[in-house]
Amino acid sequence: MQRASADPSSSSIAISGDGDQSVLEGALNIRTLATARKSLQQWRKQHKSRALDLGKLSGLDTPGALFLCELRNKGVELTSIRTEHKALLDLICGLDLKPLPRPKTVPRWREIIIELGKGAHEAWHDTLDIITFVGKAASATGHALMHPLHLRVASISRHISETGIHALPIVGLMAIMIAVVIGYQGVAQLRPYGGEDFTINLIAVSVLREMGVLITAIMVAGRSGSAFTAEIGVMKAREEIDALEVAGIEPMEVLVVPRLIALVITLPLLTFFSDMMGLLGGAVISHSLLGVSPVQYIERIHQAVDGSDLFVGLFKAPIFAFFIGIIGCMHGLRVRGSSESVGRETTRAVVKSIFLVIVLDALFSVLFEKLGL
Amino acid sequence: MNTASQQQHAQPILSAHGIVNRFGKQEVHDKISLDIVSGEIIGIAGGSGSGKSVLLKTLTGLHKPNAGKVLLDGKKVETLGQAEKASLIGVLFQQGALFSSLSVAQNIMLPIREHTDLPPEDQEKIAAMKLELSGMPADSGIKFPAELSGGMIKRAAFARALALDPRILFLDEPTSDLDPLTASGIDELIVKLNHSLGITVVIITHDLTTLFTICGRIAVLVDKKIVVGTLEKLMQSDQPWIHEFLHGPRAQGAMTARKRSHGNG
Repeated sequence: MQRASADPSSSSIAISGDGDQSVLEGALNIRTLATARKSLQQWRKQHKSRALDLGKLSGLDTPGALFLCELRNKGVELTSIRTEHKALLDLICGLDLKPLPRPKTVPRWREIIIELGKGAHEAWHDTLDIITFVGKAASATGHALMHPLHLRVASISRHISETGIHALPIVGLMAIMIAVVIGYQGVAQLRPYGGEDFTINLIAVSVLREMGVLITAIMVAGRSGSAFTAEIGVMKAREEIDALEVAGIEPMEVLVVPRLIALVITLPLLTFFSDMMGLLGGAVISHSLLGVSPVQYIERIHQAVDGSDLFVGLFKAPIFAFFIGIIGCMHGLRVRGSSESVGRETTRAVVKSIFLVIVLDALFSVLFEKLGL
Repeated sequence: MNTASQQQHAQPILSAHGIVNRFGKQEVHDKISLDIVSGEIIGIAGGSGSGKSVLLKTLTGLHKPNAGKVLLDGKKVETLGQAEKASLIGVLFQQGALFSSLSVAQNIMLPIREHTDLPPEDQEKIAAMKLELSGMPADSGIKFPAELSGGMIKRAAFARALALDPRILFLDEPTSDLDPLTASGIDELIVKLNHSLGITVVIITHDLTTLFTICGRIAVLVDKKIVVGTLEKLMQSDQPWIHEFLHGPRAQGAMTARKRSHGNG
């Protein structure tokens, strides 16, 4: 059997001849197809000839054969076909070719409305899902707490180490940076009024009440919430979750509850650490910008804030932790089939948990204001 | 078969010399040499972990061997340009490796769009033809890989591997995970493409039926070495693994299939 498809080295095509008989010379393949089509169009305009000699065709591939079949269907006679090309031509001409179906196009305005509807539908179902999942997770957690045998202590401690201890460096660094940013802005804004000393109050209050917990929660949502989704999602994609259920082990109990408990324990501790690092950053910035000594700084902190500020910040941490954990685990369990859905669900989980953290924080601000805390 | 007559005049389209592959201390291939002749169908077999997939990656230039060289059409595989390589080899990966964000037709058109300047209508026509050639209905062109069954994924991946009419087609376990009927459909497709397009086919497979019915020669990876020959020759080998492989209980069924297909052909 001889090779029928094109030799890649021959990359030229020419059409010659006059009157009735025209000769196609060279290689007709995917690279020369555009040239061939152009020159043949001219040829067909100039001549009434209806025969094409393929005897000098050195190479032919499937797109070339498809082109020749189209010509044949338009009434051009193909003559002196080489034996090695015949099989290919017969195969391609024998195919029952249909055009590719076009995906239905929807006008832009309808598309927007459809998207809007889909979005609303999804948001509604998301809300229902979260509520259901909160219920399930709470009941599983309650059950585990009532029956300590079902509490996976080893798993909890592993997650505390992963979500907490490993996050210490980055959380501390971010808290210091935020304190530095607030310090610089405070000094710049308050100096014209001669109140630059109040920068210390500004740092202490904003770090303890808001920034410490918010930065930590966002960091944890990005770091651990996403990890929860990815870990559980990969297990789901590989049917490991099904394997657990078949083995009579409740996935909620072994996968979700330990992560939730670990995160609820970890986030307040991380927040406290972040508060302290924020105050440390404040001390550094006050010393360099205002010349306030560390001892003076601590005295000023005592005057500026009290336990309630620290409490307001720390109170929010376990609630944020609960929702970050819930959303991370829920999206992990939502993974369907393929591995690409793991990536999609992870992104959604991070976006949703950060969004929820900020919404909750805003609600808490209003609530504490009303309560006068 | 026609392989014997080919070997006399044709020079190898792919030749590997002294391939050594090592992972850490574990040696997978110890100075393997293999010549593949233009137009043949060669099967590469071997036990699990014998380095079949690594050999495929080495032959296609995706993995650089620790020693040895691979010549594709007389040129070193690592010196081939992208476009040249794309028109020379096509690979059907084990899981299909279809791009999940593209529809089946877009998957097939992607290499065509990258390496030629054909207008979109022509690209679509070619994609529809490749689909038809691989035994897929044209309507499946707008489907996405996630919507396809295992057999359909293989056929779509076939169509993509054929996009630029490569001269050598590498198939990594084309019939694994498929039901027997679909698997024989794939076997028929391989033979059809080999006969009418003259494509050289390299099949990595465990499937004895595929090896026995459509492969002109078989290369067996065993003990870090490679043993190449026609089925008849390998049947007489006294290497224990090869003997067991070709005379085991499953080989009997494949032998029946061979007799039937060769009798008909």
